[in-house]
Amino acid sequence: MIANAIVETDSPEEFIKEIEKAQNALPKKINANPKTVEKGLAKLVLTLIELIRKLLEKQAMRRVEAGSLSDEEIERVGETLMKLENKMEELKEIFGLKDEELNLNLGPLGDLL
Amino acid sequence: MKLYLYGIIDSSDQIKKSIYGLEGSGVYNVPFCDIGAVVTEIEKPIQDVTEDAVLGHEAVVEELMANFTVLPVRFQTIIDGRDSLLSMMQSYYRDFKGNLERFRNKCEFGIKVIWPANKVKESIIKALKKGEQRIIDGSPSKRFIKKKFEGYKIDKEFEAKADKFIKVMDIFFSKFAVEKKTKKLKTKNLLLDAVYLVEKDRENDFREAFGHIKSGPLGLKYLFSGPWPPYNFVVLSKKPDLLRDSEQADLFGEVTQCQALVGVGSI
Repeated sequence: MIANAIVETDSPEEFIKEIEKAQNALPKKINANPKTVEKGLAKLVLTLIELIRKLLEKQAMRRVEAGSLSDEEIERVGETLMKLENKMEELKEIFGLKDEELNLNLGPLGDLL
Repeated sequence: MKLYLYGIIDSSDQIKKSIYGLEGSGVYNVPFCDIGAVVTEIEKPIQDVTEDAVLGHEAVVEELMANFTVLPVRFQTIIDGRDSLLSMMQSYYRDFKGNLERFRNKCEFGIKVIWPANKVKESIIKALKKGEQRIIDGSPSKRFIKKKFEGYKIDKEFEAKADKFIKVMDIFFSKFAVEKKTKKLKTKNLLLDAVYLVEKDRENDFREAFGHIKSGPLGLKYLFSGPWPPYNFVVLSKKPDLLRDSEQADLFGEVTQCQALVGVGSI
């Protein structure tokens, strides 16, 4: 039916799988209804906390890499990040959320996390 | 009667060739100033996204491409009627004209590349194991930081390798393209998802460039597609200034507005 365009690949199944994975990573619509509103809000809040946690973690890793943290500082940062991660795990469990659900599609800007 | 929109073309003339669109109805051009909106009349919205319907839409756009510069419109774009269509054309006229100018004698090609992400990660882990140890095991918090740091180094190296591969490919393809959009690692395996806007007389050069790249490093898988109408390069301003002008126009103002839009002297 198509006049000119061609699609050429040796691995069509693999591409279909990856494209579907990329498209399905995030829901296109927010499923908001009276029964799920609490979970929806928790998801939004936890996504933002997760973003901040990841930024803190990345900054800490950069400082470790640069060698600008003393032994005591590594100890302190490690304890903080560990507690933060544990707390996030607890909250995710309470609201029945999985890691892959904590993300936001920012349209043309891409995904938040 | 609703109108199903296929695209905007750089002509206000009627389409000479008989083209049949979705549901077998005849395709025609609704002129506005010096451009036109190509539509078919439909009774009700197309509910099912079937392969036939999507390919039917694409086939019409490609038929149009043979004779016009086309601003392709997304599948399932339905306008409420002729008045709504003309109002939309008026609001976006400058955007449409700008895009049509950019797309003249050009088409879009898509390139996707899959790489063996797991193998790449394994080789990175192997290489990093031989490297230095910055943090000495000790307390649980130090072990936590050590584990995180290892993950951070792996991810960083993984991204760096992806950048390196993409840079090589992109430099090669960009030589033959006028515009491009690239996305890195949409999934860990989908290394590159790129679209290139290519001049029609460079189509063969672009295809040859792909042939060269394809015969390059082993382990990469490619998907090449095109020539497509330039779906991915349409740029619309969010608030067309024409909308504000048109809000004050009366029903008989179309001729005057058209002349103003195309730059013909004022009356």
